[in-house]
Amino acid sequence: MNPLPETLEAATAAATLPPARPSRPRHLLARVFAAVPFVILGCYLVAAVVGPLLIDYDPVDTPLVDRLLAPGSRTSAGELAVLGTDHLGRDVLAQVVYGARTSVLIGVATVVVASVVGCCVGVIAGYSGGLVDTVLARIMDITLAFPGILLAIVIAGVLDGGAVVVVAALAVSGWIGIARVARGVAVSVRSRPWTDAARMLGVRPARMIVRHVLPFAAGPVVALATVEFALVVLAEAGLSFLGVGLPASTVSWGQTIANGKEYLASAWWISAFAGVALAGLVVSVGLIGDAFTQRYGRGFSR
Amino acid sequence: MSERGTRTAALALGALLALTACSTTTSGDTADTGGAAERTIEVAGQYPIEDLDPHGVQGASAATGLSSKAIFSRLVQPDPDGTIVADLAADWTVNDDATEWVFTLRDDLVFSDGTPVTSADVVASFERLAAGDSPLAPSFANIVATADGDATVVLTAAAPDPALAGKLTQFFVLPASAAADPAAFFADPVGSGPFTVETFVPGEALELARNENYWGDHARVASVRISDIPEMAARLTALRTGEVDLTWGVPDDQLEPLMTADDLVVETVPSTLVYTMWFNSSTPALADTAVRRALWKAVDFETIIATLNPETGEPAKSPVAPVVFGYAPQEPVAYDPEAARAELEAAGFDFAGTPLRLHFSGAQFRPFLQAVVSDLTEIGVPVELLEKEQAVFTEDLLALNWDVNFQQVGAATYDAATNLGRLYPCAAGRNGYCNEDLDAALLEGNTSNDPEVRQDAYRRATEIIWSEAVGMYPMQVKLAYAWRSDLEGVTPDPSGFPNFSTIEIAG
Repeated sequence: MNPLPETLEAATAAATLPPARPSRPRHLLARVFAAVPFVILGCYLVAAVVGPLLIDYDPVDTPLVDRLLAPGSRTSAGELAVLGTDHLGRDVLAQVVYGARTSVLIGVATVVVASVVGCCVGVIAGYSGGLVDTVLARIMDITLAFPGILLAIVIAGVLDGGAVVVVAALAVSGWIGIARVARGVAVSVRSRPWTDAARMLGVRPARMIVRHVLPFAAGPVVALATVEFALVVLAEAGLSFLGVGLPASTVSWGQTIANGKEYLASAWWISAFAGVALAGLVVSVGLIGDAFTQRYGRGFSR
Repeated sequence: MSERGTRTAALALGALLALTACSTTTSGDTADTGGAAERTIEVAGQYPIEDLDPHGVQGASAATGLSSKAIFSRLVQPDPDGTIVADLAADWTVNDDATEWVFTLRDDLVFSDGTPVTSADVVASFERLAAGDSPLAPSFANIVATADGDATVVLTAAAPDPALAGKLTQFFVLPASAAADPAAFFADPVGSGPFTVETFVPGEALELARNENYWGDHARVASVRISDIPEMAARLTALRTGEVDLTWGVPDDQLEPLMTADDLVVETVPSTLVYTMWFNSSTPALADTAVRRALWKAVDFETIIATLNPETGEPAKSPVAPVVFGYAPQEPVAYDPEAARAELEAAGFDFAGTPLRLHFSGAQFRPFLQAVVSDLTEIGVPVELLEKEQAVFTEDLLALNWDVNFQQVGAATYDAATNLGRLYPCAAGRNGYCNEDLDAALLEGNTSNDPEVRQDAYRRATEIIWSEAVGMYPMQVKLAYAWRSDLEGVTPDPSGFPNFSTIEIAG
């Protein structure tokens, strides 16, 4: 019986301790840290949108006399090669900037396609239930059983290269995760009292889905799509690295990294800068995705 | 508790270290007792070996040539300097007009399974090659092989064929039984070369073991593994780490670090290979000689070679290399983009038309070809660079399913007959170009028994090919070989077919 007051006291002390510490600076610091990925992503977006307007680059043009220049060198035309040049004399900075545009475009396009397909299939499956749900859910499971990147390599390899093929190849494995989340939300929502009430009032299924189910799926889907975006950017670079991605006439970080891999010992800057750019984008988008998941990922069930 | 855990971990670590130490000692012992000699020589080939059939559609490819040279034997073989010497044939005679060749086989010949090599095998192989879909088949059309007893083979040509001995260096002898069921045969091939096939995974690896029944000097190593490491960076890393003992075809940019490495030997040899970029003259856009010449003029090959291939190339002056019989140097085509553009416009070239498809196979050629495409794009000619997988590339090549085609063409026989004489007649149909004068010159070169007449005929043929721009011939290749310095007896081969049987491991 004796220790009780002590324990109580300790407990009280512990309970009162956190508010006693000044919380505002820590809170502010956390917010600043949380904002960093958004700032980085913003930089990428600005580079992707504005960069190509400022820097002129033609991947087909190969000024051979300027090949393998180190960062900061002057080209034969007197221009400054800030990040050096590659094995064919092409500017690495321009490749990083144009590569950002390619990555962002492919990433956004793939995520949009995957989200639309995933939401449609998932919500229809979840809302309909019964046989439709069983069939669609099994299709998702079967597709999920294929390794995504392998499927993408096969599709991109069999069909002739091009942005549309790459987007399709990456979306094929990307939609499933989204569909599963959307289905989960739909299954949960369809048995809620207000959906029952709406159904009683004679609201048609299509309107039910759009008005009463999709809004609840939006949060988790956006959170998942953000993470998906990072994976897609990485996968696109992977495909281009392997030579089954975008054609050589488009600039892609994956291709730049692949071009430089034979020069890692002598001209590290070719692969390094594109690699850093890729890592930066993927990590910051991943962090944003985590933040979104924390905030919206649980959907309505808070 | 945690103390006991640490102790257990320490014990486990100690045991592990002891085990490692043991195994190191053991392997050291084996090495000392001659184990090193039994080590497999790891070779990273230049191209993936897709097919072992020397009479098949891949028969003329460098990869199949390499494997065939190790597994099978020929009637005659070339020395590294191009002289034709005996292989299966002990000696041979030819009549005055070079229509009848008589080869006498050695009397101690057996295949790796112990069965004797007879003239029937030679005849059957010859018929299989001539009747098959090998790119080499046209070389042996109109030649009839007959057996005269077990040890004599008579080759009778419908027309005089003075280069036949040279051509026969690409003709490999298989057992007569191979023709009946080639699939079964090549699952476990039997040959009379210095090596036998241990395992073969198409496009990946070929493992060879010493052929104990070989008639000549037995291979000094018990086994050789030729594997395909498609990525040059990975291939050279493997060489540096000792995973690979020998490779060749090393690109210029990678030579520098290899030359400075203590445990590697690097040598370059002038090869018989010439960068050959055929135009498909059956493509309407390229049917006009003026267009083809202008396109050639539009590419600054001199700069490309000086920057990308300073060590491993030099500007070519003929479709064949200087060491090849029939070589006749031509005036280099000077780079002049303005003139090229003007000539294309005058010839009515469609600059906005479908891009020209430039086919190639092998990532090592990509930078060179990207530079070529850059120059062509510069004057407004649309070109699409298409890298093909080797098997697909060959199929497309034979089907003329390309507009511009890039390959390294050699003359494995050191005679222009196999290059010019085989590839450029109308009947060969290899690049869509057809010219009666060229056919006549080639016919004379391919059939006359007088070396001077032949030389002159090939000179005329070369002039036509060069001035009509049947293709672009930018670069004469030098092959860079690199091997680990503990290998002895490596002779860099100009054709890219090093002889593995003379190699041994020092120490």
